[in-house]
Amino acid sequence: MTRDPGRLAGRLQGALALAGGAALLLYALWPWLPRPGRAAPPRTVVFYGFSILGEAMNGDVLPEFARRWRARTGEPVEFITSFAGSGTITNQITLGVPAQVALLALELDAGRLAKAGVVAPGSWRRLPHGGVVNRTPFVLVVRKGNPKGIHDFADLAKPGVKVVHPDPLTSGGANWALLAEYGSAARRAPGREREAGTAALLGVWRHVAAQAASARAARTQFENGFGDVLVTYEQDVIADAASGALPGEIVYPPSTVLSEHTLVVVDKNITPAERPLIDALVAFLWSEPAQALFVKRGFRSVDERLNGANPHFGIIRDPFLVRDFGGWDRVKKEIVDDVWKDRVMKEVGK
Amino acid sequence: MTGNAPGERPRARVPVGLLVLVLLPLILMPIAAVFVFALKGGPGAFWKALTNEDAQFALRFSLLIAFLTAAINAVLGTWAAYVLSKYRFPGERPLAIAINLPVAIPTVVVGTSLLLLWGPIGLFGKLLEPLGLQPMFTPAGVLLAHLFVTFPYMLGAVKPLLDELEVTYEEAAYTLGAGKWQTFRWVILPALRGGLFSGTLLTFAHSLGEFGATVMVSGNLRLRTQTAPLYIFAQFEAGHVAEANAVAAVLAALSFAIFFFLLRYSGGPKR
Repeated sequence: MTRDPGRLAGRLQGALALAGGAALLLYALWPWLPRPGRAAPPRTVVFYGFSILGEAMNGDVLPEFARRWRARTGEPVEFITSFAGSGTITNQITLGVPAQVALLALELDAGRLAKAGVVAPGSWRRLPHGGVVNRTPFVLVVRKGNPKGIHDFADLAKPGVKVVHPDPLTSGGANWALLAEYGSAARRAPGREREAGTAALLGVWRHVAAQAASARAARTQFENGFGDVLVTYEQDVIADAASGALPGEIVYPPSTVLSEHTLVVVDKNITPAERPLIDALVAFLWSEPAQALFVKRGFRSVDERLNGANPHFGIIRDPFLVRDFGGWDRVKKEIVDDVWKDRVMKEVGK
Repeated sequence: MTGNAPGERPRARVPVGLLVLVLLPLILMPIAAVFVFALKGGPGAFWKALTNEDAQFALRFSLLIAFLTAAINAVLGTWAAYVLSKYRFPGERPLAIAINLPVAIPTVVVGTSLLLLWGPIGLFGKLLEPLGLQPMFTPAGVLLAHLFVTFPYMLGAVKPLLDELEVTYEEAAYTLGAGKWQTFRWVILPALRGGLFSGTLLTFAHSLGEFGATVMVSGNLRLRTQTAPLYIFAQFEAGHVAEANAVAAVLAALSFAIFFFLLRYSGGPKR
């Protein structure tokens, strides 16, 4: 074998590639390599949440809990989290992801978990505030300067208005939006709630131009220039509206629903040894420090006294809750299924 | 028209220009856009997006899974190729087709079928659950999905070489008193080098970018089972374009490097 320069260069390149591969492997393995003086692996909690929760939980609430737990017990806690549409995480938990605690966009999804045998029926109602951790009203987001003159859900029925709406089949937020649109009209027409609500939904849904799988995805569509108005959670847009990063402005309807977000504890994924940690976390979520962090991040606390801390919250003359319409079981059957799915969508589809 | 000397390729300024023009918006510009956007906020912002804990975990986890997938399938695939190439048996063709099936099935379907087999409500999963074993939504589940999806690459790279390999070499080795392992190590393996190399790299590259099956079986848990492509998707969905883009740029650069070596070493010497 002669060692001509070409061959040598080839070998050099081969060695270089090998070194590159080895460096890549070392980089990948680095955090797992045993090193002296490394802390014991922390205890972990697996937390699932619906889409708009990500920043508040990962950025503030969970780190604050970890800090307090460590101060109290000396143990580090690590949070393994996943955030997606409420319907999506409900399906994942049903399929067996190792979620220990989940915060869902609506109680209906908790009911689905109970039906699938993942959590005990009604178990969340035994938690503080019936399992509701925080709230946020449903609002409208319009283009800057409000060129279409939209001030209420009824204005979405005006000719030429294009609405961006999340999809009620996959998004928890979309179900709240349906209730907001129906309820705001129904509350103004005592005695003929159903007719008024149905007419309101028809008006909105004739103008739905884009549907997205989650509230977050709908917002992305609106920000990319689709439609004239977006129906969404106040929380998801309040910080950006205040900082000027939102390509639009918030319109507060005179009457709208306050969505309530339900916590479920998935007992079958919790060992007896983990129980004190999970219980402490659940209790912490309703404590004043945690609720104050939610308020800072734009959620409205279940503790009304704390809501003054966020100066950006808008005023709603006539807020209402799902219980004013008989709770989610009834709303799902009578409004979402009977009115929206069977009447409105059939009418719109014609 | 210029006359072409024999053996010389015709000058083709127009067709080549046309091809580039078509490829520009179709392939070249989207790739460039990833890098342009990644660096839009300046190198500081790029570095910050890249070095956050979740992004680092996702990249490392993806690389580890890719290394493992490549190593395991290099052995499994070569063995499968050897068996399929050497032995004649009834049902050989159906088996060969079945083994190659993973390239034909949409990866999302692969993920779903793995869930329906190994998941807590799946056929095997139901039996494993009481034992406390649950491969889905863990790194093992991700590895399983990647092994499945990339299996045919190794086979495709190695089997043609084995088919071409003259049986006489192997027989000669046996005649000279070599054992089975010695024959494999000194006669067969050297002939397969190019195939092993390109098969392993292809497996590695595909595993690094695998999305469809992973999204189904991983549970998308940050710091646990979130691979780099899942991280990119999750960040983009949440509206964090800068975070998504930084990791996308790194993933793209890595793929370029891999394909460079693939072309340089397997394509080069053969021609």
